[in-house]
Amino acid sequence: MNYKAVIIGGSAGSFQIVTRILNSLDPSFPLPILLCLHRLKHVRSGFVEALSLKSKIPIFEPFDKDQLKTGCAYLAPSNYHMFIELANRISLSADESVNHSRPSIDLSFITAANAYREKLIGIILSGANRDGALGLKKVGDNGGVTIVQDPTESEVKTMPESALQHTKVDYVYSSDQIVKFLLKL
Amino acid sequence: MIELGIVDIREIIRLIKAHYDFDFSSCSLTSFKYRLEHVIAKNNLNNAESLFRKLTDEPDFFDTFLHQLCVPSTEMFRDPSVWRWLRESYFPSLDEKHLMNFKIWLPYCVSGGELYSLAILLKEINLLNKVKIFASSFSNESIKNIKAGVYPFKKSEVSVENYRRFQGDTDLSDYFKREKYNVVRDTSLLKNVEFIKDDITFNNAPNNIKLILMRNVMIYFNPAHQEKILQKVHDSLSAYGNLIIGLKEQIKTNHNIHGLFEAVELNESVYKRKIV
Repeated sequence: MNYKAVIIGGSAGSFQIVTRILNSLDPSFPLPILLCLHRLKHVRSGFVEALSLKSKIPIFEPFDKDQLKTGCAYLAPSNYHMFIELANRISLSADESVNHSRPSIDLSFITAANAYREKLIGIILSGANRDGALGLKKVGDNGGVTIVQDPTESEVKTMPESALQHTKVDYVYSSDQIVKFLLKL
Repeated sequence: MIELGIVDIREIIRLIKAHYDFDFSSCSLTSFKYRLEHVIAKNNLNNAESLFRKLTDEPDFFDTFLHQLCVPSTEMFRDPSVWRWLRESYFPSLDEKHLMNFKIWLPYCVSGGELYSLAILLKEINLLNKVKIFASSFSNESIKNIKAGVYPFKKSEVSVENYRRFQGDTDLSDYFKREKYNVVRDTSLLKNVEFIKDDITFNNAPNNIKLILMRNVMIYFNPAHQEKILQKVHDSLSAYGNLIIGLKEQIKTNHNIHGLFEAVELNESVYKRKIV
């Protein structure tokens, strides 16, 4: 299967596994990685730097209309929604929060699912609210691959459990299995 | 929520262009789609078809449509550091001569969050009566709403917090009255504001502007239209006039149109018109 992108959503308790994923991949990774993680709105910087410490691939906090490249990770900037356009570009939006979240994982996942259809891999990690459940469902409905971090392993279960309630996912994986899956791409 | 297909969206764009001469084909497709779905939900419509009909049969609805379609600023004093920079670095650097005939322009006002923030800042540094502010909107309904200054109380919490981080003179609540579930802003702040009804290419842009506040506006348009906007903004600025854009918007100064500007304070996304 020729995938076009991986999108990862997470909130409370997801930092370690995201770090681990980024540390396991190298710049030859064949896809762009979109990261939509809940973060403090008034803290502008520091997050990319913290994630970059152990990452082997470059991580960007994209500007509006930036073009996505393989082997790079794109972290949704604070206080913006990150939309994925058909032309492999990012569009940012300062629209209302959704589920008290901006960036909203649902909106990133839904726009990515519309842009990449069956060529998208969506992963929901540990988190403390229900954001991402509708987005992952959309990934599945459009024929993409859906993965949820095993709730028994997740630091905070609400987000993975809520995703599992909303959609029949392809895989419930531990962090080891998620990394292994990505390395095989 | 109803999800629109790409065919529906193209049809809506075509219909609006034919009926109202407003060209939305240069919008960011994802944002435009999301806003259209919001308009459909807000008007209790069931599908794209019913929106077509409403747009065709009710010409008066188009103004409301424009208001609902545009993304409002959801908070006052968004990015407090930008406002602090204006108060502490920008305005103090201007001498009496600069402040003569000082005009500020805010293109694309929808809810007035940026406009009221600016007015409060100017009031606190005793400049509100010395400057002229132009505020552009696509719709009369936006202008009416901004002038009325009514805003849901629940949404004001973020603004109150932002203002605290801005470290203004008082408490933001001193600039509004609480009325049940709403707040009513102090509309006397807008005494020196001139409202302009504009179109999507800013054809009614004012001239000789010293400062343009256009934060998070270009993000709703495609790169080609962003260039058109930047050209208009450039033409409306006076020599060395300043432009402030959103923190995650970018002017690529090595590009031909973008190169009409140079960076002044990149941390706060402040640029100035380049003299060539």
